[in-house]
Amino acid sequence: MISSIVLTTGLLLILIGFWGMLMHRNILRIIIGFSLMSTGTHIVTVAIGYVKNGTAPIIDRVLNMSEAPSRAVDPIPSALVVTAIVIGMAVTAIMLAYTIRLYDSKKTLSIDAFTESKW
Amino acid sequence: MTRRVFAVVAIVLFGFVFATLATSYTEQHSLRRLAESYVQLVPQKLGAPNVITGILLTYRAFDTLGEVAVLFMVGAGVVLVLNVDRWPHAAAHSSEEPRPSSEIVQSGAQFLSPLIAIFAAYIIMNGHLSAGGGFQGGAVIASCVLLVLLVYPHYQLNIEFLTITESVAGVLFVLTGIAGVIVAGGFLDNRILPLGQFGAFFSAGGIPVLSILLGIKVGCELSVILDGFRPGPVGQKDKV
Amino acid sequence: MMEVIGSIVVLLGAGFHFSAGLGMLRMPDAYTRMQAGTKASTLGNTLVLAGLAFYHPGWGLKLLIIVYFVLITNPISSHALARAAYSIRIPLAGNTGIDALRDEQQNLRSKT
Repeated sequence: MISSIVLTTGLLLILIGFWGMLMHRNILRIIIGFSLMSTGTHIVTVAIGYVKNGTAPIIDRVLNMSEAPSRAVDPIPSALVVTAIVIGMAVTAIMLAYTIRLYDSKKTLSIDAFTESKW
Repeated sequence: MTRRVFAVVAIVLFGFVFATLATSYTEQHSLRRLAESYVQLVPQKLGAPNVITGILLTYRAFDTLGEVAVLFMVGAGVVLVLNVDRWPHAAAHSSEEPRPSSEIVQSGAQFLSPLIAIFAAYIIMNGHLSAGGGFQGGAVIASCVLLVLLVYPHYQLNIEFLTITESVAGVLFVLTGIAGVIVAGGFLDNRILPLGQFGAFFSAGGIPVLSILLGIKVGCELSVILDGFRPGPVGQKDKV
Repeated sequence: MMEVIGSIVVLLGAGFHFSAGLGMLRMPDAYTRMQAGTKASTLGNTLVLAGLAFYHPGWGLKLLIIVYFVLITNPISSHALARAAYSIRIPLAGNTGIDALRDEQQNLRSKT
């Protein structure tokens, strides 16, 4: 039940980000849509790893070593998402750098002005 | 008009696919076999209470090394894209000094930035005990640098020092991995140092060393990226 | 009994958060919107954390430290944003009576 709600939220975020990327003409809003899509994907990946009545896979007072395999949540999607978040931020940095150079060349932030690579 | 129709059709089709995914999803009752073996092996064989850090820094450490390489490429790419031929344009139409920040903001930043740095060090060092690790701590260090850059507009970061530090941290990361090949089981194995007592501060072999190196590298990397986005002083900006 | 008190305090905090959102929608210009958002949501945060302290009395010191940090950072960031908005000359609302910052800057300029 819990992970179904989280999964639905993540999929909705992907749809909203996709809509934003397709409909807006301002480059900064397209970048925000891209960031929303990547956040939604991270949420979906973490939600898939949920085990019923499970807890975090960290061995401390709450969860001792012998009962960990039966009560812990899946750790692998969380480990993949840690990497994915950092790479998403790095890609956003590159996109913003390109936005600055595009603005310097044409003095506008609308993507309709850059039509050289359209066919 | 047709663009809007295409967009709506694409969204509706994706919505159907996602609705099928969401309704046919059932929660799992027990861990899959690989996850169960990781949750059993990491506390016993690696001596690390945090299973996720054990996976990221020993069993899947090669992916972490790849991500370190990607971050380095992005840092170099941002500085390259933003540095070429831009400052003549900027000097032409920005003829005023950046406005100094008010006293309230300066006092707040002076109070907060040591605390943020201590918090970042705490996150990095506790990566193997509780939630945390190298990447998270490095991002917090970069946010401390961002606070200082926002509050003091004339602050000049020492870019040469940062790039040399992050390169040295990356080289030491690979050398630790090679030491794992020589002394212990394989590349980036963490048994190069003694495992120690479970849950102690210095335990889990080479994982704290790798966390510190990762934190330093990510922090310096993100600081260089943040500094590349700043406008230079009026007239010129000399970067190596 | 403690749980009932804690729940009432958390509900009060949620009410303040709601008023912050309502204020951000209904206020006439950027500065009043910033004021509504910051003040009401800081108090909402404080009340929610205080209500949580009623549920778990052992966490009281940690929650107090969190409230302390929220009280330090929220007003400073809102102050910096408002000053930046004023310096790029975002227009004030039509029925503004006094502009204290303009008067003070004029005083400073006439003195030097």
